[in-house]
Amino acid sequence: MLRASGEALESEVDIHTIAHGAYVEFGEELVSFATHVLERNPGLAESRNILQELVGDAGLVEAAATVAAFQGLNRIADATGIQLDDGLNSESADFRSLLGLEKFSGADSTKKTETTARSESVMGIFR
Amino acid sequence: MHSIYEIVSPGIDSRFGIAHAEVWQQLGACGTWWTGNERIEVMKEARAAHSCELCAQRKQDLTPTAASGSHSAVSDLPEEAVDLIHRVVTDPGRLTRNWAEEIMNSIGEEHYVELVTVICTQNVIEEFTVALGVPLPNFPDAGEGTPRRTRPDGVGDVGAWVSQSIDKPLANVSRCVSLVPDSAQHWRRIVDEHYSHGREFGDLVWERPLSRPQVELIASVVSSLNECFY
Repeated sequence: MLRASGEALESEVDIHTIAHGAYVEFGEELVSFATHVLERNPGLAESRNILQELVGDAGLVEAAATVAAFQGLNRIADATGIQLDDGLNSESADFRSLLGLEKFSGADSTKKTETTARSESVMGIFR
Repeated sequence: MHSIYEIVSPGIDSRFGIAHAEVWQQLGACGTWWTGNERIEVMKEARAAHSCELCAQRKQDLTPTAASGSHSAVSDLPEEAVDLIHRVVTDPGRLTRNWAEEIMNSIGEEHYVELVTVICTQNVIEEFTVALGVPLPNFPDAGEGTPRRTRPDGVGDVGAWVSQSIDKPLANVSRCVSLVPDSAQHWRRIVDEHYSHGREFGDLVWERPLSRPQVELIASVVSSLNECFY
């Protein structure tokens, strides 16, 4: 979804540099904030303040809501052993190995497609 | 219904406060397979898992079963339920099908799914408060009643670890806990408030405080750190 939404905005998004912000606007600060939330470490307060300065109160709440949503989504997906949707399987074939995703435990649930096929819509990705 | 944030941070109220308060209360209500009191015990166990010494040790180990011992349990829930709660909360990326099947053989498939749904919904609300630096909400009151223990029609093996709706109108993650519809309803509401926003999910360009690439970057980072393949 990161790659597809970046393309829709015709903005430069590099999924290979996610850990450094992927060239998304304020990407480094968003990554830092998310990482600090997951680690629950003392750097969270400073990271939160920096992000708030850049994206405002509403942006900070949106960032917090997204981190929280995916904390839950990751857990419910892993605990129920769901498979990748067919569209998502095809969409991600070209970067799963490159990003090391195949080594994750949850990868065992899905019979992987090797050929990349891009979907034309969000709903196509989740078909 | 009042927001759970109105005292500490009124600015959060408009979008999340009421939804969180309503869902939070429902987490303590009598479920389809667990009583209200049991669900409160589940929530206490989930919150306590963050300070469990065994979980902390296992998180450092190459394999999650390297360290033996008992979880720092705070409830009288069955041992298998405690293990399920602690591992889903603290080490979700290394769960396996064999482990899940052992838990389900002990407590039952429907109990497993309802418990997972409760703690994942709780997790979203609690992580939101952690992210914003506001206090964790007090546990809800336990609802009265007796679980109906009814399995819905139209569910079966779709290749996942647990039975789900045979129909697939949306993403697999949207039907992953469809075995327990009442709990799934609260789960979907929270995810919709936080991320998908109904039909807006189908748009690649969002008019929100953050752009969609910014939101999806956060999603990617969190999923990577949690080692979530999906």
